[in-house]
Amino acid sequence: MFDKILIANRGEIAVRVIRACKELGIRTLAVYSQADADSLHVQLADEAICIGPGPSTESYLKIDRIISAAEVGDVEAIHPGYGFLAENAHFAEVCENCNIKFIGPPSAAIRAMGDKVAARETMRKAGVPIVPGSDGPVDSEADALKVARRIGYPVIIKAAGGGGGCGMRAAHNDPSLVKAFHTARSEAERAFANPAVYIEKLIDSPHHIEFQILADRKGKVVHLGERDCSLQRRYQKLLEESPSPILTSDLRKKMGKAAIKAAESVKYVNAGTVEMLLDATGDFYFIEMNTRIQVEHPVTEEVTGIDIVKEQIRLAAGEELGYDQKNIEFQKAAVECRINAEDPFNNFQPCPGRIDFLYTPGGHGVRVDTHVYSGYVIPPTYDSMIAKLICYGRDRRTAMDRMARALDEFMIRGVNTTIPLHKLILKDPNFRRGRYSTAFIDRLLAATQPLVPAAKAEEQTLKTQAA
Amino acid sequence: MELEQIKAIIAMMKENDLSEFSMEEDGLKIRIKRGPEGFQQTVSVPPPAAVPATPAEAAPAQAAAAASDAEIKYITSPMVGTFYRGPSPEAPPYVEVGKQVDEEAVVCIIEAMKVMNEIKAEIRGVITVVLVENAKPVEFGQKLFEVRVK
Repeated sequence: MFDKILIANRGEIAVRVIRACKELGIRTLAVYSQADADSLHVQLADEAICIGPGPSTESYLKIDRIISAAEVGDVEAIHPGYGFLAENAHFAEVCENCNIKFIGPPSAAIRAMGDKVAARETMRKAGVPIVPGSDGPVDSEADALKVARRIGYPVIIKAAGGGGGCGMRAAHNDPSLVKAFHTARSEAERAFANPAVYIEKLIDSPHHIEFQILADRKGKVVHLGERDCSLQRRYQKLLEESPSPILTSDLRKKMGKAAIKAAESVKYVNAGTVEMLLDATGDFYFIEMNTRIQVEHPVTEEVTGIDIVKEQIRLAAGEELGYDQKNIEFQKAAVECRINAEDPFNNFQPCPGRIDFLYTPGGHGVRVDTHVYSGYVIPPTYDSMIAKLICYGRDRRTAMDRMARALDEFMIRGVNTTIPLHKLILKDPNFRRGRYSTAFIDRLLAATQPLVPAAKAEEQTLKTQAA
Repeated sequence: MELEQIKAIIAMMKENDLSEFSMEEDGLKIRIKRGPEGFQQTVSVPPPAAVPATPAEAAPAQAAAAASDAEIKYITSPMVGTFYRGPSPEAPPYVEVGKQVDEEAVVCIIEAMKVMNEIKAEIRGVITVVLVENAKPVEFGQKLFEVRVK
């Protein structure tokens, strides 16, 4: 087992990893930017080293400074968290070359799944269903039009160099395809330094279902069930739940097997997530694999009772899984709301600033993963997620009632947050019945325009009550 | 050299209207100059001991030039690594307290991932305090030297 680990990240995930390390008796070294000097992860770690000024390109993405810090701090392993360098195959390689264990999959697996076009091809060969689409990258307008006409509109253009919703554009006809083709290419160039794009059929109102997998170095792979992440806005997830309200146990078995096959095909080790789309006819398709821990991992932790970060550390230290698929129990239903410092009724405008007052909900079946505290100043430099609220119970109804109750208690004063939007979601009868898809949020936002003054008034009352 | 001893020396200099005092003892060299703007001190030790003069140890309140036209700036670390005063263990340090530097002057080495990086002053002035001990780790933005610029 490792003696000391460097956490190459910030915010709530850095706190999460430090917590797992502490419980395992592993010493922690945090790295931070000058904008994060007062951050919680810096305070919780045993040691901390400043690696640069605020901007991520000058700090959290600086491979040389992070490796320097690892050497100065004499660590044996680095946990990359999510985002930043977590899916950077080159960084994983540098760690390997410097004899520092990268807590994640081998760089070859990151590369294999990082190239979205190559990943599709690997899946096709392994017999994992993929969305009908182009046979490789689409290099010209003419090719794009040919592919689109072959598979039939509507289609979606995606970046080959990375996921996370960047460089993705839908098109319903020839003119919009041409426009989308060029826009997607420039966005991809900016996000991944690679303008290559590919095309897939756009599945109508799909459910986004992802499977959490764990794999050890001996080649054993298990899945920890699915998470339904269909509630999205502009391809960014807002809420995730497990089990999915629309999966039958038969589908779960089939999709679980496909997820395992996907991981095996790239000789995966450590934690990962296989993302799939489920259409209205019950057909499912692989879209991509995330070769890192994900934001919404707590949902699976509460359902299965398995600490995924600790498993990551154990597996990276060379330990074997120690259990089989049949040993994994799905004991609870769980749901997570991502709380962002954004104004949901003002085009989700980011609201950095000082948190004057914070009260986090508690009680049976409530978990809050956050790095913020009363008096904390949210810097404008990073993403706007400030907390994850996870509620769980014996069934979906209990978990949802609990989430609604917990959201009512959650007080964050000083900045706008998406808590009011989550309250609206939890009140929606279709959502409560489990009847929603990726089109849900846009429809909800459009329909709630007249409710905005009411929601804002409710928020004001809460703000006054908290005073 | 204790703070009390330094205070006693300063008192004695005032009493006897001395403008300069210097002394060498047990590998410790101290020189105190008294000018119109107050007392200045340099305390230095031979390189092997490599103990930098820090404000807490060496300076009573009135020492270290506080002239109205002088300004204090810092040379900070541009990287994460290990700080070295000189190019090698046997070589003398690049700078000592009292050394005049310009922008291109190399003031120290920071070693990162087996690469010895020469760090330039990037400001013009006189080194007044060495803030980090030899072979100690430094982080980004950490103050390495205090410099009096004019």
